[in-house]
Order: sequence, then structure tokens, then C-alpha cells
Amino acid sequence: MEPEDDEEPPLAVAIDDVVEHEIPPVGVTVITGYLGAGKSTLVNYILNGQHGKRIAVILNEFGEEIGVERAMINEGEGGALVEEWVELANGCICCTVKHSLVQALEQLVQRKERLDHILLETTGLANPAPLASVLWLDDQLEADVTLDSIITVVDAKNLHYQLKSHNDSSSFPEAYYQIAFADVVILNKVDLVSSDDSGAPLEDLEKEIYNINALASIIRSVRCQVDLSKILNCRAYNATHATHLEALLQENKKLSTRDLHDSSVRTLCICEPKEVDFDKVRTWIEEIIWDKKYGMDVYRCKGVLSVVNSDKLHTLQAVRELYEIVPTRKWKDGENRINKIVFIGRLLNEEILMDSLRACTLPFGYFQEDLEFDRM
Amino acid sequence: MAGGSDAVESTTLSCAKCGKPAPLQCPKCVELKLPREGAAFCSQDCFKASWSSHKSVHSKSISSSAPVNPGEQNAASENEGWQYCLRKGQARSPKLPHFDWTGQLKPYPISKRRPIPAHIDQPDWALDGIPKIEPNSDLQHHVEIKAPDQIEKMRETCRIAREVLDAAARVIRPGITTDEIDAVVHEATIAAGGYPSPLNYHFFPKSCCTSVNEVICHGIPDARKLEDGDIVNVDVTVYYKGVHGDLNETFFVGNVDEASQRLVQCTYECLEKAIAAVKPGVRFREIGEIINRHSSMSGFSVVKSYCGHGIGELFHCAPNIPHYARNKAVGVMKAGQTFTIEPMINGGVWRDRMWPDGWTAVTADGKRSAQFEHTLLVTDTGVEVLTARLPTSPNVFPWLNP
Repeated sequence: MEPEDDEEPPLAVAIDDVVEHEIPPVGVTVITGYLGAGKSTLVNYILNGQHGKRIAVILNEFGEEIGVERAMINEGEGGALVEEWVELANGCICCTVKHSLVQALEQLVQRKERLDHILLETTGLANPAPLASVLWLDDQLEADVTLDSIITVVDAKNLHYQLKSHNDSSSFPEAYYQIAFADVVILNKVDLVSSDDSGAPLEDLEKEIYNINALASIIRSVRCQVDLSKILNCRAYNATHATHLEALLQENKKLSTRDLHDSSVRTLCICEPKEVDFDKVRTWIEEIIWDKKYGMDVYRCKGVLSVVNSDKLHTLQAVRELYEIVPTRKWKDGENRINKIVFIGRLLNEEILMDSLRACTLPFGYFQEDLEFDRM
Repeated sequence: MAGGSDAVESTTLSCAKCGKPAPLQCPKCVELKLPREGAAFCSQDCFKASWSSHKSVHSKSISSSAPVNPGEQNAASENEGWQYCLRKGQARSPKLPHFDWTGQLKPYPISKRRPIPAHIDQPDWALDGIPKIEPNSDLQHHVEIKAPDQIEKMRETCRIAREVLDAAARVIRPGITTDEIDAVVHEATIAAGGYPSPLNYHFFPKSCCTSVNEVICHGIPDARKLEDGDIVNVDVTVYYKGVHGDLNETFFVGNVDEASQRLVQCTYECLEKAIAAVKPGVRFREIGEIINRHSSMSGFSVVKSYCGHGIGELFHCAPNIPHYARNKAVGVMKAGQTFTIEPMINGGVWRDRMWPDGWTAVTADGKRSAQFEHTLLVTDTGVEVLTARLPTSPNVFPWLNP
């Protein structure tokens, strides 16, 4: 029975007094990696750690067939674990903008008192890109959740063999996709490598990871005991997040990695000092990621653009076919205005990318000969 | 959030009792994190006066009361076992479900399922409510370029859908129930040899969607009589010769106030302008920019939860076409593609909420919403509106008259 069945209403409160802060959306981290790499260890470490954060972990055990996901949340006294069920809405997924998983995560956020973060553990998922596409929502939707980052846990002891064994074949193992799409790579079980002669040294492993994805930060760990501040609130898909831009602009060491095999996944960085035409550069990126012009297979793309007739730095971000170009902060006085774009993918051709980007700088009507005249 | 919305959002709340500007709200609603809309008051006096009816929103139990206006027209429904729809259509209840209704409208009981003659070709969800081909199809990831013979079928099916909608338009008047409109749609569809696609699509219980006033879309036809001053959208989809044709229009019931007329006309224009832009090479994401621009100019907002969609052998497939600005829709238009554009425009805020039936989407602030939809074919030079008005279509839109 409801105890407050009074006849007298309580005192109404002024709406301004109700501190209606714009609660920022809750970050969602996708955790991927081979079986046995340590995903569950990472999840347990985060859930049981004394960090004062309320974190929900969605355990992707059933897939969409059963229509529910199990979630463990560390709340209650002393961070005790609470089990929750998250129901995936069946139905008209095709004319709704938000995928049923997003709707389910939003309902979870709305139901709970306060959630600081959500981890989505992906059991056996080969390729995190489709999940990233579902979670990377338009800002306009003002959703209660936002994609924070993709974290890949790799097994230091077995990684070398997992990558090497597929270098000759045309099929790509999970490891390549998971590393290529990662924002953070946790190189786990490092203790097993240093004490074991047969494994490749850690520096070599980091180099192999770096060759695939030079943008991801690599964290060494034992039993996935990592500093949480390095893996939560990455805001890797937030267009205006400053840290990533600054890093990209100041990055002096060469981000392009050597092309080991024609069909390897690798990282490529191109620069162009002249301002680009906004419409041309949109068409340029669309032809690459939508039309697969030049035959390149781009997985991820991140960059800063210097746009004609704009005093604002623009950021470019793409995951498979989803992309956006967003104006962010003003270029500072004296700052080197430059276009700098990083591609992660297969069959990347540096020369073609440089030339086609340079073509975006030509005002309409100029021909190639004019460019050569400029060079003289 | 990065990038402000272009849509104009109305944030002034009105007193739930008297309609004046409301700076106060119920503290229990704050505690329970219930929406402010409907829980805002201009003064403690109005709050006190509303208390006995307002406090029911705090209760978690299913209300045992009949519809709030017991004097209203329910005689027929009670006699024939009509019940309230729940769980997307998988369940029924004799009692009105509990909900903090955002406006004046509430659901009414719905009638029994209408039969389909055996000779009608049915989509795979007709039997058990679950589409099987559609969710697993490759057409969810690639936009189909239709062959000429498919295009011809689309033309035929879309024309039938247009004629069915026109038949519904002709019966709109104060006093008719949305269930009766559904009967007209159902009968007209099967008379033409088609299947009404919404019927049992993910368990949807009726043959068309009827969305009154603050209902944004997917309203379920029920026992409520249309009232003078209402606006009502009827959304028809017909499945014929293996393809679907989808369209909707918002109609006036009797004499409608000026604000509603402006809303409906603006929505019509949003669709018109969007269609005018359709041709090969145009980005799908451009549609949202056009609709957003035109609706903001009139101070209206764009619904963001539902979008236009590819259509053909499947009811809903790629592409997804959001109606709001700054979206990341993938791809450009190519000749031979068929898809819908169906903007939903609100008089107040853009946010939507869902009724307990699992289908009906309503505006979060209870203000009205209008929608128009066409199925389109991209041609080599532009667009063909497959569901266009016919010379015989009833004259129900005043702005179309010279």
C-alpha cells in the first residue's frame, strides 16, 4: 500500500530549484578481444575495484535471439554487485532511428539513480565495427548514452601467433579487426611474456599492434589491472574532444606504418598544408568510404581539416561508412593551419590519397598545369 | 552537447490545471523522476486543486478506473468484448493501463482482428506477427536499384495504396471512430486484392495507423470518436504483387483551430520541399537539412525517433532517412531506388514518448503533431511520386485550392 495517500498535497517546488543540470550522456565502452585474452578479468577488475564509480556491465551472453541481456552493476553498500536484466525491444527496428540495444541501454540509465559508465562486453564478436555504428549516434538525438571507446584486450603470450598465422591467407582473423578499431589496446599477461623465452618480446608486440593501428594507446598489464582513468571517459567519438585534436596536430613522429604485405591492415597519415574546399573534401571522403573508389578498404579515419573560408578547425571522423565533419574551435593566432588525416585499413595507397586530397584544394576551374606552375 | 539543435524547442510549461505559465512542479514527481509535462502548476492553489487526480501518476499499480470520462461513447465496445491493447499487440486488457498521459488523449478499447480472405497473398508476418525475411535481408545494408518490372509493380501497388487512403479521407468527420476508418481501409485493401501491411506486423493489431492530435505516429485504431477540431493522420501501406506501397496524410476533422492548420500545412510543405530535392547524386542526409530548415522557420520541431525508409519487396529496408539536421545517413540517391520520406512535425518539443500499448508515439509535451508521407522513385533526372494524389483524390487540403 502506498504510504502517501494523503488528502493534502505537499508543497510544490519551483522548477528552477530542481537542479536540472544537463546530465551528460553516460559513456559506453565496448570491450572486445579473443577468448582467454582477459576480457572477463578486466570486467571483474572494474566491477570490484574501489573506485567509487557506479558502472554497469552488459554481458552479451545471449545475443539478440533471446531478447534480453544480463547486466551487472556495482552499486549498493560497499559496491556490492547487483544483477539487472535489460530487455531488447523487438519490433519495428527498421523505421526507428535508435537500435534496440541503444533503447535498452537508455532505459537502464533512466531506471538507475546514477550511472557513471557502461561496459559492453562482447563475447566472441569478430568485428566490433557494427556495434560501433549502432552506438555512434547523432548528437542531435541527445541520447542518454554515448559511445566512449572501443577497448581491445590482447593476450601478450599468443598475439604474435594469432596475427602471424593469417598473414598468408586472404581471410582476416578477429585480432586484426579488433586492433584496427580499438581506441585502447590492453596488452595483457605481460608477466607471462617476460618470463617466457618462446614469446616475442613486448616491444615487438607493441610494434606489431602499432603497425596495424598507430592511433590506439597501448597499455601493458598483468591480469588487466589498469589505471581506470586511462580507459574510462576517453570520449573517442566526441567531435569536440580537445585532447585527440591536439595530439594529432602535434604528432611529430611519422604515423604511417610500413606496408608489410599488400593486404595487411596498417595505418597511414597524410598531410596537406593548403586549405581544402569543404564540399570537395566531403565528396572525397564519401568516394573513399562509400564508393570504395581506388579499391581501398578503410576501417577507421580521424583527422583535422583546414577549411577554405573558415576560421574554425574541423574534425573528421569515420568508422566504416559512417562519417562526420564537425567544426570545433577557432584556429589560434600563429597556429600552423594544416590538414592531417590518419587512415587505418587495408590496401591503402599513400600517393593516391595525397593527390586526391590535394585536388580538394584547387579552386574550381584550375587545371593540373596550374598546380605545377605554383610549385616552381 | 556539441552542435546545438536548429529545432526550436518550447521550454515554457503550462499549468496542468489552468494553462497559465507554470514555474512550480510536484515534488513527488521530482522524487520519482516523472516527466514535468503535466506535473507543472502556476501556483500552490492549482496544484492543490489538481492533487486528487494528479497523485494517481505516483501510484505504481494498474488503475482500476474506467476511462476518465465515463460518460463517453463506449457502449458498443463494452458489449462486444473490445479491450485495451498492450505489449505491442500481444496482449489485451479490460482496464485502461496506467500512464501519465502527456495530453488529453487516452487509448480506447480496440475491436477484434479483421479477417483476410484466403486468396490474398500475405507477407510472412501475417501468420505469427514476426517478420523473418525482412530483418535478415541483405537489403537492410544495401539500397536496391529496382529493375523496370519491379518499378512497374511498385507503381501499381502505390496507386492502390493511394486509392485506399483516399477512401479513408472521404469518411473523416466528427463522430466517426478511428476503428471505423480502419474498417474502411481494411475493406478497400482486400477489395483491391491487397494485404494491409501493418496488420500483425510485429503484432500490430490493425490494418492502418490512425494518429490523432498529440499522437506522432503508429496510433492504433480504437473506439474513440473523432471530435470537431481534431487532426488525424491515417497511414496506409498495401502489399500487392509482392511489393509494398506506403503513404500517409493528416486530415482536419470539422473546424480546426488556426495553429493546427498552420502545423499541418507546414508539414505538408516540408515533405513537398524534400521531394523537390530528390534526384540522383543527392545525399540522403540532405533531406533532414531541408525539413529542419522549413519547420524551424515556423517555430515547429522535428521528431527524431522515426525516419523515412527504403521500401519494395520489404516493408522497411535501407536506406534510413532521418528527418532532422546534422545526421550521419549513409549514401547518395541513385536512379531506380524507392524509399519514403515521412516528416513528423510537432507544435511544441521534438521529444516523443510511448504509450503502454508499445506502439503509439506521443509528443512529450502533449502538443499536436502532423505528418505526411509519400513513396518515391528516383528517376534519371529527378523523382516520381508513386503515391501522388490523383484527380479523383478528395479535396481536403485548403492550401491546394487556387
